[in-house]
Amino acid sequence: MSFEELDHTADVLMRVRGTTITEVFSDAGRALFHVMYGPCEDRGIERQISLAAEDLESLLIDYLSELLFITDVENIVFCTFDVDIQGTRLSAAIRGEPFDPARHSAGALIKGVSYFGLEIVKEEEAYVVDIIFDI
Amino acid sequence: MLEGINQIGDLEWEVPVGYVPNMRVPGRFFLSRALAETLEEGAVRQLANVATLPGIVKHSLAMPDIHWGYGFPIGGVAAFDMTEGVISPGGVGFDINCGVRLITTPLTETDLAGRKRDLIERLFAAVPTGVGAKSTLRVSNKELADIMVSGARWAVERGLGTGADLIRCEEEGAMPGADPGAVSAKARQRGLPQLGTLGAGNHFLEVQVVREIIDPEAAKVYGITEGQVCFMVHCGSRGLGHQVATDHLRLLERALGKYGILLPDRQLACAPIDSPEGRAYYGGMVCAANYAWTNRQVIMHEARKVFAQMYGIDYDEMRLIYDVAHNVAKFERHDVDGASMEVCVHRKGATRAFGPNAPGIPHEYAAVGQPVIIPGSMGTSSYLLHGTTIAMQKTWGSTCHGAGRVLSRSQAKKEVRGKELREQLAKEGILVRASHDSVLAEEAPEVYKPSHEVVRVVHEAGLSGIVARLDPLGVIKG
Repeated sequence: MSFEELDHTADVLMRVRGTTITEVFSDAGRALFHVMYGPCEDRGIERQISLAAEDLESLLIDYLSELLFITDVENIVFCTFDVDIQGTRLSAAIRGEPFDPARHSAGALIKGVSYFGLEIVKEEEAYVVDIIFDI
Repeated sequence: MLEGINQIGDLEWEVPVGYVPNMRVPGRFFLSRALAETLEEGAVRQLANVATLPGIVKHSLAMPDIHWGYGFPIGGVAAFDMTEGVISPGGVGFDINCGVRLITTPLTETDLAGRKRDLIERLFAAVPTGVGAKSTLRVSNKELADIMVSGARWAVERGLGTGADLIRCEEEGAMPGADPGAVSAKARQRGLPQLGTLGAGNHFLEVQVVREIIDPEAAKVYGITEGQVCFMVHCGSRGLGHQVATDHLRLLERALGKYGILLPDRQLACAPIDSPEGRAYYGGMVCAANYAWTNRQVIMHEARKVFAQMYGIDYDEMRLIYDVAHNVAKFERHDVDGASMEVCVHRKGATRAFGPNAPGIPHEYAAVGQPVIIPGSMGTSSYLLHGTTIAMQKTWGSTCHGAGRVLSRSQAKKEVRGKELREQLAKEGILVRASHDSVLAEEAPEVYKPSHEVVRVVHEAGLSGIVARLDPLGVIKG
């Protein structure tokens, strides 16, 4: 997995690592759904997202917030994130399955994605970002 | 205690200007030496960051349940000058008007004996709970607009409560200044199907017994007696509030340059109170706060129906003591250096604790101050307290909101197994019903500071006075 949960007293702190920015965004989406629902399967439900922001950090917040919105109103659990990023514009095709209380109730409801400490940092061979989800 | 912090009283500490660059005022927090061991440097830094915001008055404050959050620390309180100051979603949080209400019943523990499990199951069936829970209420877009303005009154006018319930809510269940135009279509879409749902995380509906009366005079005023069965509702504004916070955080973040505000943390994005962006956030936040009061009103109504059906008691015999918000920003008048001044008070994980004869508290409670409800963590005691004059002088009439965590959720899951915890609590006579056992591990009693110690600190610091202790009998959780 290219995301790991770090210790945070009140909320969930996830470190996401990717060799490309695109990978960081895909895995940040996976991390969000991992926290909320646990395991998920691609059963062919697909949604498209298009977003633009002034910088990559804001784009990441907007993208994750959009995922929270869609899962809340449509009751879809996503597991596949096909993301394309050009500059600070994003288009994504996301796929998953309907929410099933029997299989998806082990997680924590995420209320929002925080800007606190959110910075996409380029390390030698990877991009890394720490994201706090308010739960 | 961490380096660079000065003790200025038995339970009072000061974070001097300079702890982080650009602080305008010192930080102050309330903590016992025992609790000081759990204080995180990150939380103090967040307290200090708040002190850099324009127009902050007197101090950046934190209550003894202070811990590391985002933007403001949890337990953070700060007031801002109405002209020079700012309003910030980072000082309220994503769950706008997360709050608690406490309701008495005419029952005693003996009345529940033998049927307690049935009671908990029926409550779990009556109140939609957990991730993905949807309401059985059908709310139209027009009704949602009414709810955002009228708050709990909307529910009472539809028979989901009584007029007396409204009087016994902070702001009488509806803050003025709602601006539905500042609530996005997305927020409304999330709010429509979720009215009357508990949500997840640390939210709960708990059946309790009054185990001990500590202040008989105040208990009499509040109408609470030893041995009485009560229930407590803890939840907030659901997806609607989360979306309002998300939307306005972005709008304010984009407007920072316009107002020349430099921040140590983007989560503290803010705007002058009387700017288009500041007014829009306030108007949207009020809508979400009013939705939250309606939400708790509807949940209380459903729980009352369950008690009435099971035990043959009258609906009116279940009296709401009070409903308090613990994530909100409000315009309030306070005494500042001998003069009355209007300020914008942010409370993030902190409870209003207005003292005797303060404006805005129910007439029937004027002599002792407003009721303050502090929920314990799962399986531990909750407390009813009263507001004080000292809180008015020192903390903008504020006190703690809960126990405050000491263990992360990931650590909790490693150390506690939900199923074992449920069985252990059952042995102690506390029945727990949740959508999944893993939810229980994350909210286990040992992941929180001891609630009695946090409450002792606010009591001894004079920020509120303990009236009664309530022990859990059963709980439903998300």
